[in-house]
Amino acid sequence: MISAILLLWLAGQSLSSEAAQHLQAGIAAEKDRQPAVAIEEFRKVTELEPNLAEGFVQLGQAYMQNRDYGSAITPLKHALKIDPDLVPAHQLLGYALLTQGFAAEAIPHLQRVQDKTALGIAQIQTGQFPDAVANLQAALAAHPNDPDVLYYLGRASGLLSKQSIDTLLAAYPESARSHQAMGENYFVLRRMQDAEQEYHQALQLRPDIPEVHLELGEVYAGAFQWAKAEEEFRAETRMQPGNAEAFYRLGAALLEQGKAHEARAELVRADKLLPDMPETLYSLGKAASLDGDAAAAEKAWLKLLAIEKATPLAAQAHFGLAGLYRTQGKTADAQREMQEFQRLQQGSVPPQQTAKPDAAH
Amino acid sequence: MITLAVCLAALADPVFDVKILRELDFTLQNSPTPQKYLIETMPGGVALLDYNNDGLLDIFLVNGGRLTSPMPSPENFDRHDPRYWNRLYRQNKDGSFTDVTQQAGLANAGDGNYGMGVAVGDYDNDGFPDLYVTSYGKNILYHNNGDGTFTDVTAKAGVAGGGWSVSAGFFDYDNDGKLDLFVTRYMEWDTRHSKDCGGNYHTYCPPEEFPATTNILYHNNGDGTFTDVSQPSGIAARKGRALGVAFADYDGDGYTDVFVANDGMQQYLFHNKRNGTFTEVGMEAGAALSEEGRRLSGMGVVFQDYDNDGRPDIIVTELPREIYGVYHNDGNGTFSYRSLETGLGALTSGSSGWGVGLEDFDNDGWKDLFVAQGHVLDNVESIDPSLHYLELPLLAMNHNGRFEHVDSGSTTPVAGRGAAFGDLNNDGWQDVVMTYLGGHPQVFLNHGGKSHWLTISLRGTRSNRDGFGAKVQVNGQTRFATSAGSYLSASDKRLHFGLGTAEKATVEISWPSGIHQKLNDVSADQFLEVRESEKP
Repeated sequence: MISAILLLWLAGQSLSSEAAQHLQAGIAAEKDRQPAVAIEEFRKVTELEPNLAEGFVQLGQAYMQNRDYGSAITPLKHALKIDPDLVPAHQLLGYALLTQGFAAEAIPHLQRVQDKTALGIAQIQTGQFPDAVANLQAALAAHPNDPDVLYYLGRASGLLSKQSIDTLLAAYPESARSHQAMGENYFVLRRMQDAEQEYHQALQLRPDIPEVHLELGEVYAGAFQWAKAEEEFRAETRMQPGNAEAFYRLGAALLEQGKAHEARAELVRADKLLPDMPETLYSLGKAASLDGDAAAAEKAWLKLLAIEKATPLAAQAHFGLAGLYRTQGKTADAQREMQEFQRLQQGSVPPQQTAKPDAAH
Repeated sequence: MITLAVCLAALADPVFDVKILRELDFTLQNSPTPQKYLIETMPGGVALLDYNNDGLLDIFLVNGGRLTSPMPSPENFDRHDPRYWNRLYRQNKDGSFTDVTQQAGLANAGDGNYGMGVAVGDYDNDGFPDLYVTSYGKNILYHNNGDGTFTDVTAKAGVAGGGWSVSAGFFDYDNDGKLDLFVTRYMEWDTRHSKDCGGNYHTYCPPEEFPATTNILYHNNGDGTFTDVSQPSGIAARKGRALGVAFADYDGDGYTDVFVANDGMQQYLFHNKRNGTFTEVGMEAGAALSEEGRRLSGMGVVFQDYDNDGRPDIIVTELPREIYGVYHNDGNGTFSYRSLETGLGALTSGSSGWGVGLEDFDNDGWKDLFVAQGHVLDNVESIDPSLHYLELPLLAMNHNGRFEHVDSGSTTPVAGRGAAFGDLNNDGWQDVVMTYLGGHPQVFLNHGGKSHWLTISLRGTRSNRDGFGAKVQVNGQTRFATSAGSYLSASDKRLHFGLGTAEKATVEISWPSGIHQKLNDVSADQFLEVRESEKP
């Protein structure tokens, strides 16, 4: 691309014939994927035309195509000394510096060409996380679902989050939010006793702080302490009567304890607050089934299946329906649901393993 | 108010006096190595049997063997070394035990065999219980000579099996009056093809890492020999990763069916078709997966009636986050998953269960649940701190079909594995013997109480002499006669019933022969032998 632009530009320039020949040879070598030859040809151009910035750009680019980013930096910098506004030189130098770890030095060049992706990556390396997030979001808008952009945006967001939390912990180490943040860290590390302690400290300092009961409930649920989990989820629902997740978690904790009727009531509330969530519908069906209300269970699972067709939850709903129909003596319906379940399970639950006659023992 | 306080205090008392008896100087040698050979974490079985017919339960314990890192080829587990012997302990009249292993002829189980489990049954109907010991390697059938000694009759009987056998059990699948033998096998594995998993954690591998294999059904020919009928019976038509097996007639057709607990896959329910063949119906019967259609790590299993509706239900012990599976027999040939309703969700979602029994420990007329517990991985805490390699056993009392945790009396967490159930001291209250890796067996002696009981011994005439497969109903409770179930273990063949406040009982027995017997006004608090009628 740069070579094509260069050729057009050179058409209007006075260039010695020898330099022009080397330039053409270099471009041809690049096309032939002979970077070492191209480098040699472009070097001769820079020797013959030491004030031709584009020649240095060509040399830098050839180095970069040869993956020798370090060697590209000097000719590209020289090009910008000759012509500080040469856009291709800024772009290539920005890339070369970034690949060599000189992110701070790369940033002005990348800003000059407004390469949002590379700029965002450089800003991650220099700790400018808010700017990195903004630039990578813009890059993602221009290139939706680009895996590299998605990765770096996720990383920048995580680092920004960590930076905020680190600031919080440094500035207000004994605050409720600091204890909450520490609890979350320990939870991720599966250090459940430490997480529990931090959440309790957060609640001692600010009993009305939202989300902490929910998170503490998750700690207890992870440790199979369902009664305690129920207590915390219930506290969260009292604090946040509009929080569908809190009601869902409460319902799930009750279900684990076999309190089907109570679980059902909480799951109904979760469904009202945030309708048609597949997880809620599945648990609602399960609770209704355990509560002896086959009609309600069937309704919840069929509703789920209207939303999700080929997910693990859909498979579970088919399996649940098969059980319902089997109990009701609806053999054909049960078989149909089992077939759907097994179809969705392909690879997850292997079919019955049939032995070869000669492989008995 | 005072009554309530007394009741609460009584409830708080442990049910058992947990003892490590000095005389039971047996250590379960599983021999863990850095190689993480999977067999290390799987033994060992225990049997409660009255081998000398003196009316006192004796204890047989299966040992693992010596493993080296790495194992040589051919494998040698040093079973000639007394440390690695299986052991038979005879109970004396004063309740103490004497090691009679050597004089009974049970000392050396073969250097090539790493021991796993034990089945007990009187396969030749001579009135003395015989032993079948399973192994990684070859299994051994010990015939009880009736004089305090046993003879290895494996070769003559043709029941050596091979590969990795785990739980086994005697039952009469064709109702011909002779006990047949079912042997579960875990997977196609050997020390040369072992591997460790878990990356830097170096853990035992999950079962899916190794090929599934078939179980074995041996038909008793009645002349001291057996015929391998795994193929013609349809049992070998399904490959699995079996660890547990239990027997009961779930559909009331008079023929005993087989439930196989498989690890990391669907469970198998083999329906007896009454013509010598079986069909695997677990999936369509609703007894194969969890409530959410997930595969289970089935390990131990019990096939008895927990809710007193007269039909055998299934409880399967599993790994954490799976919840022990309760499959309620709905009476139409199908089962419904009732783990949450029965309270096992809250009690078992963080535990790993192995040996399991449904026994009425408080004699209130409801069968309670005992589970030997402990994770498979000896370093599980470093991977997931919420899980534990060493656990206390679970004791959950049954209140109208719902289980509630109570204090068993055990205070030391162990890697529990085998568990056998029976009345060791003949006081009318069920006791437990539990094995655990690397340690001595734990004896759970029931403190007892004031409720009444009845313990029945069956004496089959037309049916097999042990009466295995008989359905016995007492005051609205039902038991299916068997010594099998649990994990790797064999329990007292006598059938124990708690009677609560009742001082009389009505006993109804449906023998495998089809004979039905009814006994009225049977006095409580006795050991009753019932001989099968000669005529229908």
